[in-house]
Amino acid sequence: MGSSTAERLSVRGIDLEVTRRGAGPPALLLHGLQNVDPRARFLDLLGRHAEIIAPSHPGFGGSPRPADFETVYDLVRLYLEVLESLPYDTVTLIGLSFGGWLAAEIAVACGHRLDRLVLVNALGIKISDRETPDILDVFNTSPAEVRRRTWHDPSRWAPDHDAMSDEELVVRARNWDALCLYGWHPYMYNPRLKRWLGRIGVPTLVLWGASDGVVTPAYGRAYSGLIPGSRFQLIEGAGHHPEIEQAEAFVDAVARFLER
Amino acid sequence: MDAWWQCEVPYPFVPQGILDATDSVRASLPNKYCDPKIAADLFEQVIDEFLLCDDLGLNVLAVEHHAGINSLLGANPVLLGILARQTRQVRILSLGTLISLRQDPVRAAEEYATADVISRGRLEIGFVKSGGSEMASNNANPVNNIERYWEAIDLITKALSHHEGPFSWEGKHYTHRHVNIWPRPWQQPHPRLWSATGDPDTAAEVGRRGMVHVLILRGPEGTRRAYAAHRQARAEAGLPKVTTDNFAYAAFVYVGDTDEEGLRVGGKLLWFLHTSLKSAPQYSRFLPGTVPPHLAPQVYRTVPTSGTATLSANQNAARLTSITAAQAQAQGILFAGNPDTVYRQIMEFYDKVGGFGHLSLVGRSGFMTHAESEKGIRLFAREVLPRLREIKPVTVD
Repeated sequence: MGSSTAERLSVRGIDLEVTRRGAGPPALLLHGLQNVDPRARFLDLLGRHAEIIAPSHPGFGGSPRPADFETVYDLVRLYLEVLESLPYDTVTLIGLSFGGWLAAEIAVACGHRLDRLVLVNALGIKISDRETPDILDVFNTSPAEVRRRTWHDPSRWAPDHDAMSDEELVVRARNWDALCLYGWHPYMYNPRLKRWLGRIGVPTLVLWGASDGVVTPAYGRAYSGLIPGSRFQLIEGAGHHPEIEQAEAFVDAVARFLER
Repeated sequence: MDAWWQCEVPYPFVPQGILDATDSVRASLPNKYCDPKIAADLFEQVIDEFLLCDDLGLNVLAVEHHAGINSLLGANPVLLGILARQTRQVRILSLGTLISLRQDPVRAAEEYATADVISRGRLEIGFVKSGGSEMASNNANPVNNIERYWEAIDLITKALSHHEGPFSWEGKHYTHRHVNIWPRPWQQPHPRLWSATGDPDTAAEVGRRGMVHVLILRGPEGTRRAYAAHRQARAEAGLPKVTTDNFAYAAFVYVGDTDEEGLRVGGKLLWFLHTSLKSAPQYSRFLPGTVPPHLAPQVYRTVPTSGTATLSANQNAARLTSITAAQAQAQGILFAGNPDTVYRQIMEFYDKVGGFGHLSLVGRSGFMTHAESEKGIRLFAREVLPRLREIKPVTVD
């Protein structure tokens, strides 16, 4: 989570912290509730199969947030611009959780710049009836309950604030504020997105931690079912962050998909 | 000095075992624990107390809080309407609609204008920034709360003071293309505006706008700093100096026949701090936008590291939950005793903070009875208020 090892990327005057790793076909990785920790094991593993480009969204990690930049609309436009600016005709787009919502929006809007799409425990759509929330309200639920529902094995993987450095805690607080600003209302979804998912024409893999209590596998299956030709795959022994709890299985699944 | 009596209409009758077991007495405590028959009795008593204030010439103040044992006044404009009609002489302060929680400030402006007309110009409009559990209860994004606060105040002010037909508002947070409220307010250009805040940035803006600046239970240090920020911002903006009439302070106040009675009954007010502040971490220290990220190390850890940062509102609340009556008196949060003692405590506080022109009495809370509340109101109005009235506004440097 430290910013010292990160590179910068500037798009239309917006300065982004970027973690880069590996070599191979390019993959733009959009992070979820937290920015990507450069020390995360899955980065090294996935770097054997792809060149990973992982920016921190404005307001997250070490990326400043311009004062007038505060909606998912802004984020989607930003990443469309990032796609234009990369020196590749097409890239694979990988979206984790909140970043999965962004990835789905981008794939709907700009499929021709994508090679493949990977959604991992993605947010972004409304499936159930009006009195059944699909997405755990991480802001209005007790931290203990959020922790329990986020991780398959919280005792091993859930972050321990007491063990974190000051710098890491400041980043977490920035991430939390930015996530709330972007995702508060409607809570973590775009009511208009679902009807357009059928526009996605690139090969799509929907990966889901089997123990996720933030967004359940049933939600993931429904999400996948709305994207033509998409494949749904569960990852056992993982919650909302399969890339962290089951880094090998996660990377195996992505790598196999990239090779198909 | 003017004085304003308030009661938040708390609901203390939830069994202690329930309160001990829950992580939050606000926002998430099921409303099955609120018996509407008891609530009706409470409202009846408290509205009678407001009317007693009216008889005695003591101004009244209506607050707003949502979904908890601390207050049943989620629908502040309803109480405002009742007070506008049922009182006959005193001024009425709404402090206030939690304006950044409302979807449509124009509707709030209509409510204010209507209450001002019904009361024939006795309304004052106070705004409170809100935060904490109120955000969850109202689906309100806590991160840009303060932006909404100021934009809503701007829109309400224009809606109250614009009389030449519909105007359009296309702001950052509110859009309303056709604003033309009826009735317009009785007072021109609009009722006096108040704002409650302790933080220096907001205090500065309150100063530049010339609103009445109210501090609630902040004690002398925080209050003096906030008033100073208000005055300094005016000076820096080249605005004229203000008098003590621009400053207000809200404390627990109870007057008894004796010091013993004043402190014994007044001590019941501390129920508000001891019992009704309990708020789950998601509504307090982990609420986005509540603490600047650079202070996160002190807030996120279960055992905060040493630091001398300014107390956040949440930390302030945590400090208050265990306060004793003697401590509360010493810290300028509770003014209680016989009439002479209460007057002396108020004036000591007045001197410490550089003067203020309005005292808001948090006058009934917890298990204080209707009879005790009415006795305190009578004694305050008869024995203390006339002395406070002698204190005229003075310009403050």
